Amino acid sequence: MKKVLSLFLLISTQLGAQTKADDVKTFTLKNGMKFLVLEDASIPNANMYLFYKVGSRNEHPGITGLSHFFEHMMFNGAKKYGPKQFDQVMEYNGGSNNAYTTNDVTVYTNWFPASSMEVIFDLEADRISSLSIDSVMVQSERGVVISERSTGLENSPWRLLSENIEATSFQEGAYHWPVIGYEPDIKNWTKEDLEYYFRTYYAPNNCVVVMSGAIKFDAVKAMAEKYLERIPAQPAPKPVHLLETPQTGERRITVQKDVSAPYLGIGYRVPNAKSDDYFALDILSSILTNGNSSRLYSALVDKKQLASNIFTSFSATFDENLFGILASTNRGKKAEDLEKAIYEELEKIRKDGITANELQKVKNQKLIEFYNQIETINGKSNNIGTYEVFFGDYRRMFDAPALYNKVTVDDIKRVANQYFKKSTRTVGIVETNVED
Amino acid sequence: MKHFFRYFFLLLGVCFSATVFAQSGTFKLPAYEKTVLKNGLTIYLMEQHEVPTITLSAVMPAGAIYDKTQNGLATMTASALMTGTARMTKSKLEEELDFIGASVDAYASKESAGLSARFASKDRDKVLGIVRDVLLTPTFDEKEFEKEKALLIAGLEQAKESPRNVIGNYFDQLSYGSHVYANPESGKVSTVTKLTAADARRFYRSNYIPNGSAIALVGDFNTREMKVKLESLFGAWVKGTVPTNLANAAVQPPTSAKVLLVNKSDAKETTFIIGGPGVPRSNPDYVAMEVVNTVFGGRFTSWLNDELRVNTGLTYGANSSFSRLKHAGTFRISTFTATKNTEAAMDTAIKVLNKLHTTGIDEKTLTSAKNYVKGGLPPRYETSGQLAGLLTSMFWYGFDESFINNFQKNVDELTVAKAKEIVQKYYPKNNLQFIMVGNAEAIRKIAAKYGTVTEVNIKDDSVKTF
Repeated sequence: MKKVLSLFLLISTQLGAQTKADDVKTFTLKNGMKFLVLEDASIPNANMYLFYKVGSRNEHPGITGLSHFFEHMMFNGAKKYGPKQFDQVMEYNGGSNNAYTTNDVTVYTNWFPASSMEVIFDLEADRISSLSIDSVMVQSERGVVISERSTGLENSPWRLLSENIEATSFQEGAYHWPVIGYEPDIKNWTKEDLEYYFRTYYAPNNCVVVMSGAIKFDAVKAMAEKYLERIPAQPAPKPVHLLETPQTGERRITVQKDVSAPYLGIGYRVPNAKSDDYFALDILSSILTNGNSSRLYSALVDKKQLASNIFTSFSATFDENLFGILASTNRGKKAEDLEKAIYEELEKIRKDGITANELQKVKNQKLIEFYNQIETINGKSNNIGTYEVFFGDYRRMFDAPALYNKVTVDDIKRVANQYFKKSTRTVGIVETNVED
Repeated sequence: MKHFFRYFFLLLGVCFSATVFAQSGTFKLPAYEKTVLKNGLTIYLMEQHEVPTITLSAVMPAGAIYDKTQNGLATMTASALMTGTARMTKSKLEEELDFIGASVDAYASKESAGLSARFASKDRDKVLGIVRDVLLTPTFDEKEFEKEKALLIAGLEQAKESPRNVIGNYFDQLSYGSHVYANPESGKVSTVTKLTAADARRFYRSNYIPNGSAIALVGDFNTREMKVKLESLFGAWVKGTVPTNLANAAVQPPTSAKVLLVNKSDAKETTFIIGGPGVPRSNPDYVAMEVVNTVFGGRFTSWLNDELRVNTGLTYGANSSFSRLKHAGTFRISTFTATKNTEAAMDTAIKVLNKLHTTGIDEKTLTSAKNYVKGGLPPRYETSGQLAGLLTSMFWYGFDESFINNFQKNVDELTVAKAKEIVQKYYPKNNLQFIMVGNAEAIRKIAAKYGTVTEVNIKDDSVKTF
């Protein structure tokens, strides 16, 4: 890996051109569990990222937050390694772990000295094949998750803001509820709900495993066959049927919280990651807020000083999503003036487009972003897995440079006109004083 | 997320080479070159060619400890560096850097100021030229200064919305009293409001000097060529008088248990720290303390997290850490819980601390912690940014690669008996210091159980001196 990447020096404008898709080797077990392996001995460590295609979109009211709760339960004991032992054994062997849940996926991450690889396979095989859902552990884990939910809201108005915008824009679809779930649901789901979830979604054929580090492909394959192949496949989960209906008019939401100045968010409906417009929208997101010379930062924070912070949020998702513009109002300024000024900037792009220089700037920034992502073995695994799961093929990661480069100034103008519409936007405000 | 565990090794400044380490099994820092220019500027150069980028890290004796009564001056001076140079206005500077995807950030921390930059190696001439201008010829434009100031004030006010963002400042106030280590890194609204561009210019002149500063570059370059380039860029930086070190005054240890209760009337949880005095960065037991702390509060299966999260479900996470500055340090246990569980969580944390003193650590647990510490190190020193940060830490705290090259040995040598000594020597037992941020109405009586209570409001500009 090391040698291949240094060739970037020679042709630096072709993002990722020298990292070959062939460096990633792949195999699929008989039970449908797919592995992507990247050998990289730059540090004596390795990782294992397991992407399960289950997230809060697979839930329904009554069990909201269950995917995330399940993520916690995966650490609470199985047949061979009982409660606490997953972490104890992993840490004893020099490893550590974490996990995260989104609307779409649940991802488990193990980091370990390469010499401990077999223990990691054993631990994973145990919990995937025979998790035990202990009622006492379920009860104490409810407290942990309620604390996680509460501390997120306690320490960040942004979270309160985005949850409310999502809940207002998405009404029938499965992005309506937050990933962490509603507190009453957290307190009420049953052991049977968890068991159903495990059977349905934690099947080897619903999982993609990515490993990078000082490991050998053949050894990985042998261990995967030894530890994981015996786990039976399950019928594919029922497709999610709660899809969002089109938004046909502006929606607004106000939330009271004691804040120093109002927080404002605007979410526009945009298509999912497989849309042809994904790369143009991603570039538009950078045009708007990446760096102090970006459109919105420069106009609203620097010149007009209406905002003290501004950023966009746009990410790859399975279903139709929101393109978010989030800002905190500067001291003594009004949220309505800030909102109006944001629309003025968006209108400029809708009307006049962007310059070739601006587009080139973002393409240059994307190159550095790419280097940052592949500088660590963890960045490599996370990216390979994300492309595989969200774009349908890890090879897309290697096509991404070309896809970014293909985007033109006209594309940016076109997507700005197509998606930044009043009728498909949802505006949220968190402020201290709301009207009675 | 399963957990957002504190990366206690961020303070550790240890590195294992991406290249040397892989096969040999012994920890060695990759080769680097250290040079001192005639004006006293120390330069570290370490080649790493995995990606075609370079990371720069600079450290200057210009942190908040030099603020005197003007809290926030160090932070404002650092931000103002980026608001224009003799050759470029702020917007020109930002356009130039953004266009090539480069980042340059200046900031002040408690003891020092820092500048970090990351860029494609092909852009090194342009970016290093800008870094030179930012450090040597900042203009401190008044209009830009006022804009930065307004942003800092907005940030200080927003921070008060989040207990997690402010609790550390309160703890430093309580721990360090009248010592300069109590100075809040980003200042206070009342003091920042009064700062002027002239104040920053004066602070810049006295504290941004080559002698007493270091610049480290790690990444894709040729050492010999880079050395020549840096000499020509920074050789003209005029030598100054190293500012009087205000931090080597003794810190008074606490003589009684104290509680600082910070009222946040809309809080639904109590965020708290239980702590006491720690040690400076130079303490020889550094590695042993990190291993012991791994057991107590430094990882997921640590005793604190096990008891407060896994066994009782009182919190999403609990941890402990030593924070080490050049001349002193602190120890803290940090966690949070729903308001109604405040007393249970605090009592439990104290119970676990007592257990550490009475029960001690057995052989198996110690082995596990040693393996964990060793196994977790390489990824923390994998990138050029991590390595550049290490080199400036070596400069600032005065340690060298022997610390790194002996790290594994020091971990392995720790015995159960020595671990016991570490606990007795460094973990506070009496006169604990408490910060509680929460709804005072609901937790005032509980607070009184732990020591003499002082109550402030989170919206207050500053707390009393202790």
